[in-house]
Amino acid sequence: MFVKRALAVMLAGTGTLALATAAQAQSAASETTAGTSISNTASATYTVNGAPQTATSTTATFVVDRKVNFTVVTTQTGFTQVNLGQQDAVTTFRVTNLTNGVQDFLLDPDQQNISVGILPGTDNFDLTNLRAFVDSNNNGIYDPGVDTATWIDELAPDASVTVFIVGNVPNQAGAQLAFDSLHVTAAAGGSTAVKGTALVATDLNLGNADNTVDIVFADDDSDGLLYLGDVARNGQGRAYAGYQVVTTNVALSVMKSVRVLDDGVNTLNPKAIPGATLEYCLRVVNATLTTPADAVTLTDIVPTHTTYVPGSISIGTPGVLGIACVASGSPEDDDADDSGDSDGAIANYDAGTKTLTARLDRVAGGGSTAVSFKVKID
Amino acid sequence: MFRSPFPLTAVALAAVALPAAAAAAPGPLQISSRVMVETRARAADGTTRLALAPARRVVPGDRVTVVLAYRNTGAQPLAGVTLDNPIPRGLVYRAPAPGSAAPAVSLDGRRYAALDQLRVALPGGGTRAALPDDVTHVRWRLDRPLTAGGGGEFAFQAVLH
Repeated sequence: MFVKRALAVMLAGTGTLALATAAQAQSAASETTAGTSISNTASATYTVNGAPQTATSTTATFVVDRKVNFTVVTTQTGFTQVNLGQQDAVTTFRVTNLTNGVQDFLLDPDQQNISVGILPGTDNFDLTNLRAFVDSNNNGIYDPGVDTATWIDELAPDASVTVFIVGNVPNQAGAQLAFDSLHVTAAAGGSTAVKGTALVATDLNLGNADNTVDIVFADDDSDGLLYLGDVARNGQGRAYAGYQVVTTNVALSVMKSVRVLDDGVNTLNPKAIPGATLEYCLRVVNATLTTPADAVTLTDIVPTHTTYVPGSISIGTPGVLGIACVASGSPEDDDADDSGDSDGAIANYDAGTKTLTARLDRVAGGGSTAVSFKVKID
Repeated sequence: MFRSPFPLTAVALAAVALPAAAAAAPGPLQISSRVMVETRARAADGTTRLALAPARRVVPGDRVTVVLAYRNTGAQPLAGVTLDNPIPRGLVYRAPAPGSAAPAVSLDGRRYAALDQLRVALPGGGTRAALPDDVTHVRWRLDRPLTAGGGGEFAFQAVLH
């Protein structure tokens, strides 16, 4: 009864709440570790009729609870620039543990199918085989086969770790922009190499036992109020990044040359006389080193006063300039039906329009391909 | 046989409860220490009231109020009552609690004074004014004898580091 009244007196002046924030700007490592027991005991001295005495108070004890807080951010500026068909394209994130204790973190790579607005542009394709890996060797670069951990194990207070989202870019015409996000969930730590389960905040309405470690989520809304990828105090975080197909053209050039193979008269230096066989050579060079050119189609009209030599089209790696057009070519048939063709390169000759069409499967970045065919001078 | 467990349990409970009381029991001065937190409760009129509740859910950065309640349970008045409370490790002293007398504070447990009269020696020489963070002990002195049956409370606010 007495205690209660005294307390009421103490509470009469509650205008000093501003004190609360004074010690909040501190690092997680300097915070009292979750599970620490804090006890308060006072002692007293006094005299009774001049005789000194001492007394000790009861001890008040409480256990410091777990204040779960962490950040997840993307560490790259702008989008990762990719090419169609690229494997293991990487976006990079960083997770920092601000909890007053060691934590595991679960990683979940997500496609953002809608345009999130946080990033400029409009998402119009998805990556395949999207995975998240921890930078195990801590070098900031994704190393396939080395960075294989798919969750963060035992991250100390204030420590951070890099996480990669790795995916494959599909061969999809028109693909320009794909957004992805790393969704991180705080999980129970304490056991090395054991994947903790996701933490659940202790119910604020439950009468808690004083000597247990409650879980209190103190993480912020990592993507702001406008976006629903994350909300404050849910033990989760999310950061966004993206992939951009930037190169939509390459420096492709075609060089055409001709040489006389045989004139029926001269063995050594055949001349371009009627009846002579000529070889035309089309050499396609892709000067853009990083990007292949797909489905390169060449058309060539056989000159007047010459006749196409049937079945003479060959497509393949260029030979030494001036000596051989195609070093290791595959012969192509003349008809337009290429269903039986399996090497990707196809060609046909239309005798009506005297037009030769060759379609190269892919000219690699910095690579070249040659097409040769023969004609006879009328 | 069947009835005996009940009284036995009561005895056992008393036995458990006693040592804590026994530690403080020898003298007539009884002191209880409590760590409280401020909680907000909605009152019937729609306003929010602050109340102190036992510290159960406390995380770094939270403010707690340490309350010392003292009482003279003896028949004699107690003179020169001095209550000394070392700040527990992990807590950082902030201020006297509202309604409580301000304690004398100490940076070393030996010299006590008002906070603004204390200075901290700097490593490179010189001194600076002491801050609440520097306080390691708080102490209250009753300037009048504590009459039989008399008591009261002192309290200070601290932040969990």
